[in-house]
Formats: sequence, C-alpha cells, structure tokens
Amino acid sequence: MISDIIVVSSLALTSMTPILLGSVGEIFTEKSGVVNIGIEGIFLLSALISLIITFVTEDPYLGLFTGFLIGAFAGFIHAVFAVYLKSDQIIVGVGFNMLAYGATVLMMVSIWQAHGASPTLPTKTYVISIPLGRDVITIHPLSIMAIGLAILFWWILEKTSLGLKIRACGEDPKSAEASGVNVYLMRIIATTVGGGLAGLGGAFLTVSWIGQFTRNISAGRGFIALANVAFSNWNPLTAILGALIFGIFDVLALYVPIKLSSLYGIVFTTQNNLFLTIPYLATIIIVMIISRRIKMPRSLGTPYIKE
Amino acid sequence: MSRRPIIQMIGIEKIYPDGQYALRGVDFEVFEGEIHGILGENGAGKTTLMRILYGEIRPTRGRIFVRGREVRFSGPWDAIREGIGMVYQHFSLIPSFTVRENLYLSMLSMNKKIRREDIDEIAREYGEMIGFKISLDEVVEDLPIGVQQKIEILKTLMRGARILILDEPTSVLSPLETVELFKILRRLKESGYTIIYITHKLREIKGLTDRVTIMRRGRVVSVVETDKVSEEELAKMMIGSEEFVFKRSEVKRKEKTEKRRILEIRGVSVVDDKGVEKVREVYLEIFNGEILGLAGVQGNGQKELAEAIAGIKKVSRGRIFFNGLDITDLDVRERYRLGISYVPDSRGEALIYNMNLVENFILTSLERYMNSLKIIDWRRVRKDLLKAVERFDIKTRSLDLDVRFLSGGNQQKLIIAREFSRDPKLLIVSEPTHGLDIMSTIYVRDLLRKFRDSGRGVLLISSDLDEIYELSDRIAVINRGRIVITGDPKELPPEKIGYYIGI
Ligand SMILES: Nc1ncnc2c1ncn2[C@@H]1O[C@H](COP(=O)(O)OP(=O)(O)O)[C@@H](O)[C@H]1O
Ligand SMILES: [Mg+2]
Repeated sequence: MISDIIVVSSLALTSMTPILLGSVGEIFTEKSGVVNIGIEGIFLLSALISLIITFVTEDPYLGLFTGFLIGAFAGFIHAVFAVYLKSDQIIVGVGFNMLAYGATVLMMVSIWQAHGASPTLPTKTYVISIPLGRDVITIHPLSIMAIGLAILFWWILEKTSLGLKIRACGEDPKSAEASGVNVYLMRIIATTVGGGLAGLGGAFLTVSWIGQFTRNISAGRGFIALANVAFSNWNPLTAILGALIFGIFDVLALYVPIKLSSLYGIVFTTQNNLFLTIPYLATIIIVMIISRRIKMPRSLGTPYIKE
Repeated sequence: MSRRPIIQMIGIEKIYPDGQYALRGVDFEVFEGEIHGILGENGAGKTTLMRILYGEIRPTRGRIFVRGREVRFSGPWDAIREGIGMVYQHFSLIPSFTVRENLYLSMLSMNKKIRREDIDEIAREYGEMIGFKISLDEVVEDLPIGVQQKIEILKTLMRGARILILDEPTSVLSPLETVELFKILRRLKESGYTIIYITHKLREIKGLTDRVTIMRRGRVVSVVETDKVSEEELAKMMIGSEEFVFKRSEVKRKEKTEKRRILEIRGVSVVDDKGVEKVREVYLEIFNGEILGLAGVQGNGQKELAEAIAGIKKVSRGRIFFNGLDITDLDVRERYRLGISYVPDSRGEALIYNMNLVENFILTSLERYMNSLKIIDWRRVRKDLLKAVERFDIKTRSLDLDVRFLSGGNQQKLIIAREFSRDPKLLIVSEPTHGLDIMSTIYVRDLLRKFRDSGRGVLLISSDLDEIYELSDRIAVINRGRIVITGDPKELPPEKIGYYIGI
C-alpha cells in the first residue's frame, strides 16, 4: 500500500509536468491580457518536432530546447494576431489547435508512414531512478524544474517590475500605457514566453516521458492546463496544486484498473475508457467548485486599440 | 509667468482612423508658468489635441515644439521625458492595484532601477508640496474619486512633470473637491509649474486661468487673456454666434392654421443619479408646426429634461402632458407608442455599433415588424430600410454593414430615418448635427424643417447658437437647470442669448 502511494505519486509528478508548464505559461500570457487557448496545439507541435530533432541529433536536450522555441514561436504568432491584428483571440486559438492537430498527423504519416504512432526514441532525457522493492520509481528532473519555474514566474509576476507592467496590461491597458508601459511590447513578451513554457511541456511528453509520438498525444492536456488557470485563480503557486491533482487522477485512471485486475483478476476492456475520463471529470468538478474568478485580469481577451 | 512659450503646436491636424476629422489645423501655444485654459464644447477637439501633445496618438499633420525644440513623440513615455504629464478625464490608475503599485508602475518608466521601497519617500515629498497625504497600501478602487484624482496628480508630479495637462478634471468632482483641486493647482503655479486646463465650463476658466484658447469644431477660434473678457464673450466665442446668419427668413412655410399644444411641461424637476437636481421647475410648451430651440451650454440639464420627456428618467416633481394626456407615469415604450421620439446627442447611445443597418433600423420599432409568433419579418424590414436609405440618402455599401463603418453623417441620417419611419408626433433631438460635415448638416436641418412643416413638433436641443437661430420658431435658454428666458428669435439677438447662457 505504501509502495502504491509512492509509485502513484512519482507517476503523478510526471503527469503533472506538462499541465503545470502549460498552466504557468498561460497564466503569464493571460496576466498581460491575452488569452491563448492554443496550448493544446502547442503541445502537439512541440511534442512532434522536438522528437524529430532528437531523432536527428540524438540529443534529447536539444529536443527540449527546440520544443521551447516552437512554443515561443507559436506564442509570438498568436501575439501578433492578438495585439497588432486585433483578431478574436479565441478563434485564432481554435484555428491553431485544429491546424496543429492536422499538421502533426500529416508529418507523422509522411515521415514514418505510421498512422498511429512514431518509432520509439533510443535515448530520452535523464531520469532519476530509485529502486523500491520490486518497483523502480522514476522522477524526471524537469518535473522538479517545472515546480521551480512556477515559483519563479509567481515571483516575476508579483515581485518584479516586469511582472507589475505585465499585470497592468491585463488589468487596464489604457492606464498602463498612460503610465508609460508599452502595452504591445509587454503582451508580445508575455505571450511569447508563455508559449515557450507550453512548448517545453509539449516536448516533455515525447522526449522525456513517452519516447514516441502518437496521434493526439496531448489528449486534451492543453485544455486541462487552461482549466487549471481558472482553478488556480491566475496564481502560479496554486497552479502547482491544480496540476498535481490532475496528475494524480490521471495516474489513478490507469493504475486502479491494473491494480484491480492483478488483485482480483477482473479484466477491464471497454470499461477502461470510463476510467480514462476520471481525470477530466474530476478536474471539471473541482474547477466548478473552487474557481472564484476574482483575480481574472479585467481586460482579458480584449485587444488594446489606441485610437 | 513669463511670456516664453514652453509649448508650441503648429498646424496640427488629426483624422481618426474611422475618418472623423477631429482637428483641422490648430495652432496652440502655452507660456511657461501660466495656467492656460482650453475652452470648447464637447467634440471641439480639446482631448484630441492634448492626446497628441502627450504622445498618445500621432497627429496626421503638424509640428510640436517643447521649449523651442521640435519633438516627435512615439508614445507617452517620450512626452514624460520632456516633462509633460497628463491627468486624465477618466483616471489612468489601475483600479485593482494599490496606490504604491500604481505609483511604482508609473515611476518605472522614468527610472528602471527604482525600488518599491523608494516610492514612499518620494510620494511623501511631493504630497507635502501639494498638501496631500495618503496611505500607499490602499487599493485605488476603494478610494473616493476626489482622492483618486489627487493620486493621479501626485503620480504625474513624481514623474517629474513640469507641464501638467488636466482634462475636464472637475466633471467627476463634488463642489468641495473642486475647491480643493483649484487650491492645489494654484499652489503648483506658485512653485513654477505650467498647467493646461481643459474644460467646457466658463466659470472655471474665469476663476482659474491666465489665458485661454477657445476651440470650436476642430479649430482654434480665439486666444485671449482671461481677465480681458467676460463670461458672456467667452460663451459666444465657444458656441459660435459670430458666424451667425439669419437664415430662418429664407424658409417658406405654411401659416399655422390652428395652434395646438402638443407638449406641456408643468413645473418639472429631475434629480440625477448622484442626487443632484439637474432640472429645476421647468415650464415649457411645444405647439404643432413648431421647432422650439433649447439653447445653453451642455450639462445644464438639457439631457435630463429630454430624458424626462422621453420617459427614460423619472421626474421628481411636476407633470408632463402630451396632446392633453398626462403621460408623467407612462414608461418609455408607452410614450413611444403615443408618438414621442427621442434622438440622443451621442450616436453611441442611439446605435449599436457592432450591429448592421438592418438590425439597428428596427431597434426602436421591433413590434411593428413582428408577427403573432414574435418572429421578425426581415423581408419587410429590408424593404422599408431600402426605401429609407434612398429617401434619406444614406451612403452605405450594403445593408449588412456594421454601422460603425458608416460616417458620422450617415449614422445620424440612419437614426433620423429610423425615428421618422415610426411617424412620431413629437421629435426630441439633441445636437443633431454634432460632428457632421457641412452637407450632412444642411441635409439633417432640412429634414427637421420638413418634419416641422408637416405639422408636427420638434424640441431641438443644441449648444450651437447658429443652429438654434437657423431652425427655431421659438427659443428657450436653459441655465443650471432653469429655463431663464423664452421668446421669439427676432426679439432675442445673440448678445442677449449669450448673456442668458452665461449668467
Ligand atoms: N478615438 C476616436 N475615434 C474617432 N473619433 C474620435 C475619437 N475620439 C474623439 N473622436 C471625435 O473627434 C472629435 C473631437 O473629440 P474630442 O477631442 O474628444 O473633443 P473634446 O475633448 O473637445 O470633447 C469628436 O467629433 C469625436 O467624436
Ligand atoms: Mg474631451
């Protein structure tokens, strides 16, 4: 039982990582007044491209870095649409998600002629392995780093002048501009960096965790990250908790049926799908109960038009 | 005060992206150490001019000099560096931030290395200068407006501004807060600051400024030393009666057959949301076949009176009769149905900019286009709108265009077309030609005359004396909520009206 808890915890930490990175990135983005619902798409694109880079260079760390760049680039493009072209940010995000899904499947098929999944990487990023009885617990350094990043971005937002400027843009861009803040620039910076964090999360999926790309590998995690933003009340520290809750349910959904069948010999086949909905349902319910939306940036999603 | 110009703006023009020609070649000059007023009606272009000076928007044409050196601002931060500070009509504080966060934020644009802790010291120093003390941990939105404004001034001073622009600062203040503000401004002047003070209130100009630039419809009409002119003269310059042409005689029309009273207002008072009495015991009548022009400086109760007649605002005292029927207790819809139609001064109030012409056209007459199942008969709407577009010469690419893409003149025509199509008996229009080009102005005025000539009544509210004289059969002047005089235009020359507007 104890070992079960430890194993579940370590797996939950892994499952938490992309959600947390996506959430923190999105909080950073939204604090500036831009909403980027394209996290799901960023996850997909970064996951695939970082995998390709890793295959080519055999360097998973370069893969991770590429994932970050891809995300940052996607964030930057979104920012240009949102800030300069004053497009509807939701529609841009939806479009990007659909595009990313189609593009990744197409690339997968054309590179590997595979329709479901890519080949598996020979080398992933380093994992800390601790033997525990018959099991081995694995902890990804990036999981720890993600928590560190959440704390860092909380600190940036709350304690630094850059954070104050970014928050001002999300609360009241007109006043921010009048106070001498360059609203366009701040929104571009925040959305680009935020996208970069999501990109890191996407790369983590393939290069650190699973080792291969599968169709729709992100499986809605980008949307969970979005929900987690509201759940956390736009606070990166609370977002750690939210991501962890999702991670735990995500693991339980796989772990419980396996455990049950090994203990009692019950075999789940179709019912398995039901278990897989648990993390999503749990997230929705928790968000509904807890989210108060008080700290939502007041100018979220509205373009800043100067004249 | 020296006679050395600290600010010179030359030949400034501004055309907004939507085509609004807000400034039509403005020259503007401020001396160092003076309190310089900018006087003008709403829409004259005062705010636009100052936003340009503050680098917030760019002029379409024109040059700006600060202390004799030409400048080109790409944003407020450039203006701040030149020592120019703006205190906004709507404050530029971030409501959910604390005072300290707000001050810190604005100081950052001056000095990137400044720390949050340094703010307290600087705030105290400048606070003492203007006699103002505040706890920096308060959240701005919890503070009274008057205090927020002082923070705004404090903030501007802390950024090292030597030239302060205040845009209609008293529009949100109580009388007591206004007195305090004036004290602060006078203290600043004594310490050598230059102040640009924007308002449309004559009393404030007289009470505070050294010199005043008067603007009208995107132009400067005059620059004068304040103590050399009377309020009355200022009012005339601002409203524009020197361009006054007695066009009324040109208009031929049928002699009134029978004089029937359409509207009678008996001792009506109206209190606004803040509890201030804006309309005080007004008596007025409007007859059929007549345009009654209500003259006065904006903000003297015109809007409240119009809204009381339309039924939008409740009266606190008095009764209103329409064709002999007491309508005081009827709601807007019932009054509409009886034939009262109201066109407010702001087109934004009458139109929904993000909806197209068709949708806007039926906003006030949905019922006429609904069948028994409450479904709108769009075919009929389009047919009627098409006729109206033709008749009123509304220029649009398509009926499905959002109205925000129409020019001001065409928006106004659409509103009038809509109200006319409902065949009202009494039309209340406020500033009907405000912001319109000359052709649209002539056209709209013609429409109003035709409407009158068909034997119906018009209450024309306008701060433009030319317009009042051109259209009115009778004139009433409103001042601080009271009707101070009514009479025939022939017996009320502009000088006299100016006097009544200004007292
Ligand atoms: N952002 C804008 N876009 C388009 N037109 C504008 C804008 N701001 C002001 N205007 C127009 O420019 C004219 C001058 O406005 P403004 O400078 O606000 O006048 P004032 O401050 O004297 O009341 C008005 O006709 C107004 O409708
Ligand atoms: Mg203004």
